[in-house]
Amino acid sequence: MLEFAHLKTDPSRAASTLGNSGGQPPEFPAGLRVLLVDDDATCLKILAKMLRKCLYDVTTCSQAAVALSILRQKKGWFDLVLSDVYMPDMDGFKLLEHIGLEMDLPVIMMSSDDHKDVVMKGITHGACDYIIKPVRMESLRNIWQHVVRKKRNELKELENSGSLEESDRRKAADEGDNASSASVGNGKSEKRQRGEGKDEDEEDVLDEHEDHSHTKKPRVVWSADLHQKFLTAVNQLGVDKAVPKKILEMMNVHGLTRENVASHLQKYRLYLRRVSTPQNQGFFDAHYTSSHEATYNSVGSNDGFNLHGLSVSSQHPPQSLAPIHSEQRIATSTGMGILAVDQLGFINSRIQVTGASNIISSSLQQMNNKPMSNLRGCSKNIELGQLGQSHQVAQPYGGINLQFGEGTSNFLTLPSSAPTSFSLPGGTISGQLSKSLSMHMTEHSHEEQFSMFQQSTLDITLPGQPQPRGQLLDEVASHNSRLASTLTEPAPPDDIANCIWGRLGTDANMLTSLPAKYMDAPYNRFPRSLYVGGQDGVVNRSAGGSCFDSFISTCNLKGTNNHVSDEHQSRSRNWKLQKVNLPYQSGQEVGLEQSTIDGHSSLMGHQGATNISAGTVTEEILLMKNKIDNERGSSSQHQRTNLVENSIRVNYEVSSDISYQNLHDELMKVVQGQKQDGFGRADADFNIQV
Amino acid sequence: MECSSLHRQLAIIKKNLFDQGFLDEQFYQLEELQDDASPNFVEEVVTLFFRDSSRLLTNIEQALREKHPQDFHRLDVLMYQLKDSASSIGAAKVKNECTVFRELCDKENLEGCLRSFQKVKKEHAILRQKLENYFQLQRQVGPVEKATRSGN
Repeated sequence: MLEFAHLKTDPSRAASTLGNSGGQPPEFPAGLRVLLVDDDATCLKILAKMLRKCLYDVTTCSQAAVALSILRQKKGWFDLVLSDVYMPDMDGFKLLEHIGLEMDLPVIMMSSDDHKDVVMKGITHGACDYIIKPVRMESLRNIWQHVVRKKRNELKELENSGSLEESDRRKAADEGDNASSASVGNGKSEKRQRGEGKDEDEEDVLDEHEDHSHTKKPRVVWSADLHQKFLTAVNQLGVDKAVPKKILEMMNVHGLTRENVASHLQKYRLYLRRVSTPQNQGFFDAHYTSSHEATYNSVGSNDGFNLHGLSVSSQHPPQSLAPIHSEQRIATSTGMGILAVDQLGFINSRIQVTGASNIISSSLQQMNNKPMSNLRGCSKNIELGQLGQSHQVAQPYGGINLQFGEGTSNFLTLPSSAPTSFSLPGGTISGQLSKSLSMHMTEHSHEEQFSMFQQSTLDITLPGQPQPRGQLLDEVASHNSRLASTLTEPAPPDDIANCIWGRLGTDANMLTSLPAKYMDAPYNRFPRSLYVGGQDGVVNRSAGGSCFDSFISTCNLKGTNNHVSDEHQSRSRNWKLQKVNLPYQSGQEVGLEQSTIDGHSSLMGHQGATNISAGTVTEEILLMKNKIDNERGSSSQHQRTNLVENSIRVNYEVSSDISYQNLHDELMKVVQGQKQDGFGRADADFNIQV
Repeated sequence: MECSSLHRQLAIIKKNLFDQGFLDEQFYQLEELQDDASPNFVEEVVTLFFRDSSRLLTNIEQALREKHPQDFHRLDVLMYQLKDSASSIGAAKVKNECTVFRELCDKENLEGCLRSFQKVKKEHAILRQKLENYFQLQRQVGPVEKATRSGN
């Protein structure tokens, strides 16, 4: 979702982009970058006009080959591809496959041919949708949903990679009374979150999307390296004779499962089959062989694997991550997984990212491996832990959790009964993040904590910058690397875990009580809300408290991230995370924990966007801390909720430029301030008008 | 008043186009796209359509005249393009005839294709004429006169 940063409804931006007089910010999906491919000039003209009327950013192209080259050149730029099926130079389905493999963008096919088999072909080739021509405006108005849905599915996969039980999540969602936290199929909370002006469609999409979250497979990111290993193994064994088990053995990649290999092998075989047909031959082969890095994604993105460097595969020492330069916005801190969003860019250009992610994963693994003595019986989030170790690393959202590894996941899950599984991919992540944040917060300035936060935040939100995703990945990777370094250097992972746990013990209740649902809630809005952070810079406000200082120092270490984030933020048009916060508001009954977590998650979400910078983390930590403190001291959930909300809001509003101290002050203000104030501000800034 | 009678005339012409099935709902979509940024959008699109479709028709005609065996697949592809185009501007009758043609093509009924093609050509020409008149009148009425459903 990070990519949607550019869709943020920034009035000034909108005005400049869309030529508005700077009045109302455009509605939510405005600015969606669509690549329109149609060989018919009349259709092209009409469709382009329609899309522009929807306030989308349209690039037209009358040839598939040209479209592909545009997509390759501007990696990460486009959000969606709209393509005709029948084109003279290339079959639309072929284009679809290419896009799916290389860029994993949502593709919508169009044709006046409405024969079921053709439509079916489109869907099986991975099209997100199939629109029958003549196309009406209404059909185009909703195409953004596919982008959102796709991203969410990717996130979900990442999450699921932790083998979070769908049922658990749903259960969690169902259990929670809080409308706000119940993300699954809970449109109400979203409504509340969004307030008026919410687009019904949007809500529907989200609800629908939530219902779709089922993939529990860990999401393995098949980086170029990994794929190369795979290819070597397959070639040695012989394509026809290669069996996943043997391939796995030959690849010797830690953390890779036979299932991962099996599914990848299947895709590879399908690819080969397709490639072997005459028409595709030249095109595909050339493409494929020349770009191993291309994300080998199945067209159906949902089950595609991220090319993110499968962190498991690397054993690099954390230090090696250092070179990764900090500029990258790590939209997805996980570096590991980040690429869900931007695989192509990632794959093609950032080997280091891969490395980083690998490093990170190894760090995580280290962490994971360490006994988490304090882990309460959190079996729930074991998945998270697993995630950490598993391939999921690559997932932006999942990554965060993963990174923490088992330890983190454990505490993320909160030992208590709360089904920590996060039903929503987005929600989950945030939940996890928030949890980790809270944990960190409680810990007070643990550097490791901080880094962990960082990681988590990083994962969230990749700002939809124009810059190639790969960059983002790099950033993430760098973040991750930093995190990894942090994790590994200052203190052994289990210290962190222990610290967290210790704190967790006390605050566990809070956290645990946070139903996954609750956490998910913010993510429901994920696309939009998560990325808010990017725009708003790192919220460096500190909630105050002693831990703040320590965090600040930690944050300072990561200061570079902030800058980068800022940069990104300014460019990115993050969707406002605002919505995320909404759940909190409505979820007063959820209890502090939830709100806390929610806040965190929202923070994280936002923070995740490019801003994962330390400031953000710090802020979150502070918020969490505040929340925790507040919770302890106050019996008023509402208060907490407010705080959370406020904090959340604060997050967004804070620009990364604010010094930590300022953040701290601001955060204090927010926390202590009026709910309305915070909210109001946030609203002003973050509301994404749908 | 000349103005109002022209308006009325325009409205009637438009209504007829729809009633008689020359244009369909899609044409309204085009009209809705017309705005200040592109005040002559509909006319531009229609002009573009006729330009491209004429070329297509020529190609199809040439293909039909080619020696046997007929490349029905190619014919089908060409006619598909025409149908695509026609449907995008709401040229209902043209689109329908294209569909008929394609069905005959599937059956590899050359004779039928030839006849069908003539119909396509004819509808194409008729529509072209009607729309040209329409736009001409519209220009006379004035740029403010945006073709709207109120014309019905």
